[in-house]
Amino acid sequence: MMKKVMSVLLCGAMVASFGVTALAEEEHEPVTLSVLAGQSTTDAGIEDMIDEALAEKYPWVTLEWECVDWGNDFQPKMQQYLQSGLPDIMIGKAQDVATYAPMGVLAPIDETYLDKGLDAARENVTIDGTTYGLVYNALYQGVYYNRAMFEENGWEIPKTIDELQAIIDDCNEKGIVPFASHMVDTWSIGNVTMQFMMNDVFNKDPEWGDKFRAGEVSFADSEEAQTAYNYNKLIFDNTYEDTFSTEQTDCDARMVLGEAAMKVSGSWSIQNFLDIDESFDFGIFPFPNQTGDSKLIFEPNITIMTSAETEHQDAVNAVLDVLTSDQELAVEIYDYTKTASMLKDVSPTFDNPSQTDIDAYAAEGQIVDVTLGNNQLVWGGFQEENAKDIAAWLQGDITFEECLAASDARVDTSSAS
Amino acid sequence: MTKKKIGGMEKRMFRQYLIMVLPGMLIFTVGLIIPLFLSFRYSLTDWDGMSKEMGFVGLQNYIDLFKDQNFRDAWWFTIRFTIFNTVIQNVAALLFAVALDSGIKAQKFYRAAFFIPCLVSAIIVGFVWLKMYSNVLPALNDLLGTNIDFGLFGKGETVLTGLLIANNWQWIGYWMLIYLAGLQSVPAELYEAAKIDGAGAVKRFFNVTIPMLAPAITICVVGITTGSLKVYDLLVSSTKGGPGRASTSVIYQTYATAINGRQYGYGSAMTVTLVVVLLLVALIQVKGLRSKEVQQ
Amino acid sequence: MKIGKRKKEKDLVPSQPYTRTTLITQIVMTVFAILFLAPLFIIINYSFKTKKELYLGSPLSLPQSLNLENYEKAFDKLDLATTFFNTFFYTAVSVLILALLCGMTAWAIARCKRKFFKFAYVYFIVGILIPYQALFLPIYTIGYKLNLTNTRYGIIFMYVATGISFGVFMMTSFMSTVPVELEEAARIDGCSVFKTYFTVVMPLLKPAMATLIIMEAFQIWNDYLLASLYVSKKQLKTLTVAIQSLFSAQSSDYTTAMAAIVISVLPIAILFMCLQKYFIKGMTVGAVKG
Repeated sequence: MMKKVMSVLLCGAMVASFGVTALAEEEHEPVTLSVLAGQSTTDAGIEDMIDEALAEKYPWVTLEWECVDWGNDFQPKMQQYLQSGLPDIMIGKAQDVATYAPMGVLAPIDETYLDKGLDAARENVTIDGTTYGLVYNALYQGVYYNRAMFEENGWEIPKTIDELQAIIDDCNEKGIVPFASHMVDTWSIGNVTMQFMMNDVFNKDPEWGDKFRAGEVSFADSEEAQTAYNYNKLIFDNTYEDTFSTEQTDCDARMVLGEAAMKVSGSWSIQNFLDIDESFDFGIFPFPNQTGDSKLIFEPNITIMTSAETEHQDAVNAVLDVLTSDQELAVEIYDYTKTASMLKDVSPTFDNPSQTDIDAYAAEGQIVDVTLGNNQLVWGGFQEENAKDIAAWLQGDITFEECLAASDARVDTSSAS
Repeated sequence: MTKKKIGGMEKRMFRQYLIMVLPGMLIFTVGLIIPLFLSFRYSLTDWDGMSKEMGFVGLQNYIDLFKDQNFRDAWWFTIRFTIFNTVIQNVAALLFAVALDSGIKAQKFYRAAFFIPCLVSAIIVGFVWLKMYSNVLPALNDLLGTNIDFGLFGKGETVLTGLLIANNWQWIGYWMLIYLAGLQSVPAELYEAAKIDGAGAVKRFFNVTIPMLAPAITICVVGITTGSLKVYDLLVSSTKGGPGRASTSVIYQTYATAINGRQYGYGSAMTVTLVVVLLLVALIQVKGLRSKEVQQ
Repeated sequence: MKIGKRKKEKDLVPSQPYTRTTLITQIVMTVFAILFLAPLFIIINYSFKTKKELYLGSPLSLPQSLNLENYEKAFDKLDLATTFFNTFFYTAVSVLILALLCGMTAWAIARCKRKFFKFAYVYFIVGILIPYQALFLPIYTIGYKLNLTNTRYGIIFMYVATGISFGVFMMTSFMSTVPVELEEAARIDGCSVFKTYFTVVMPLLKPAMATLIIMEAFQIWNDYLLASLYVSKKQLKTLTVAIQSLFSAQSSDYTTAMAAIVISVLPIAILFMCLQKYFIKGMTVGAVKG
């Protein structure tokens, strides 16, 4: 243990001295950078880890964090700052790049740092050949299932919707709730809807969103889109009775305690699952589609963007350097957030029971990046609003046709630019 | 004194009065009125709140508002929330005040118990009641072996009730204190006189207490109404306007449209509409209540 | 005078034996008080629980031990020393300025009969109805153009701007109770308008100002939106903003959030208990016609 610490310290000192000599000619007045971090529920806390690593390597750079909830507050804050000047560094999601880069307010990320990341996520943060975001980690989305329960009942991983229906029926017979869900959060409805859309709509037509804006397709006419919406009903009919009063943590706790068999969700649930019972055994499979060729969904999550007008590019680069080259930090963050690495040669060390499933799908190339869908049909103003309509429809306040018509009427806000 | 001199002095006094009013007016104008006018200007455009371009669209946004079902629903929710709040909060606060003033023991304790919730910010109140409905109260069922559905935030039909409970929990104590203060300043002789005239408790309440409380009633009614019409904080940390859109208030809808939906011009039209309605409502209310005060 | 008399009688009341009505009232009010306090009890109860207890036990059960871990975490996460000072500072300065401004403004409006002042009154009253929550972006635009964002005086400026309407409304309605005779005497003695106000009128306004201060202080202390808009820097943050970020960021860890709530509410709750008498005295003024 002592040895390890020593080597880390030595490495750190060496890297630090290297950094200092490399930049020795420039003056290193203390610099404070402003950072706007739009975080998901599981990200909170990583700012301290980054601060610590940064203080070790570049003590002259201090970060002034402003951490907000990505879903609710990131866009408003950005809107605010677009008027007065952006913070030096912004941490959002991959889809934010498509929103803000076309406005010319983001700076390209230096190749030195991009090279340390995996190529997989670069495509969707690259606009006209220039990359404006550094994708740091990734989430997987699909159906999380209680492995022990599946084995006990002899359920196979379903590939088609009929097979899934068979499991649901068996659950209902045995008094098990088929799906855990927490519809009190509209975002969870929006999230699963995009999962369904990916496999039933974008899987067949990768440009569905653009065609939607061109008026070629619509929710009212597209059978596939309607199928995707309808899966919400399938979940709603087969979940907790009080799903509209159930919150995420309680929902996950109830699943871990064996009340429910499956949950359409993403990697953010892992933190909850393991918090409640660290020996909970679960796997993941993509939500089946009509054609039986569903892919597991992959979402680049923490994405670092930098301002085109920063006065301290060297300090910004120092931060990018720490993030991409400090492997200890990276592992610490991945282990903490229970997410997948997007850096080359870095893997989290936490025990993820669903990793074997992920690896299996990855080996078969059955993985799809959800940014494709999120870029074409944006979250704020479109997916989020549609989710409210879906909730209203599930509650019986509006008809399915009204729900589809509302999505169609929102076509103007479906794209950021 | 000559007429001219009086005029001069009046002018000087006018100027001095003016100096007393102007600083406040200036701050108020810069901080609130100019933004309001900016809002009006934006409402005539199709601005998204971010980009540099801003196209003039005339009154199109206002025309669209009338066709916007979600906006109408938001109004309907806000109006119901406001009416119920104004009635319940006023009546409950007054009854509580009367009860506390009726000579029960440990008045101070009750005062504190009812008042403390309003020291808590609405953000926290929303969060606490979310937990109450989803976790705490259902646990009562296990305890009592009953099967009451406490998930008030979970259904469109009950979410209003849930929010009203939360809001009243927070504010009844505040308005109660105002009524209590009013009650305790009612001269005892008035009651004695009414008693001698043979008025019963109920009659005394309506003929003596209520009229004497008129100034307090004005403050409470106007305060509760305008506060309720502007409800927003409470929703942010509890229902987030849901389920579906069942508890989306006008401001919540405005915020979702203008900011998250990037339709800043259209959202601004919503704001302007809300301000106009608020103005009309309050004008009528203040006029009505104040005229009653003058009568006695 | 009348108030004094009544009070004396009131002091005698508690020693009176219960009548049937007062007994029923006492019982009913006790039930209500318990209902009102129950959520507070729940918050405190949660704040001592560990994560495991939260998920596995009933929400109503008591924590196994008085574990203070949540408090330590909350204390740390809220950056309490800073946020508490900030909130207190913004509130205190804003209400003092408001008391000063509103008193002056309301008096001038009440005394000067020119049309302009009638207009000024209506102008201010309109402000009560302007939902500044919906003016999010223009308020921010104004703020950064005047260099008010992320400054202490900026947020105070906004609190004054948004609070002044109600203040003027309240103070003006109080002015009718201020005797004009004293002012006239002062004027005959040759006092200017200012001197009359500051030496003669303002002392009479003290109780009304106390009410105003209390009412505005609540608003400002609990404000979320303006604070989140104007002071986002860490060292300028207020308590509500810090707590809100705890809610959204720590949704899986709401025992910490509960501890944070206790920490933030406790000081003002204690303050209220101690100053109850003054609070109520202050409120009497606004609600009672002299």
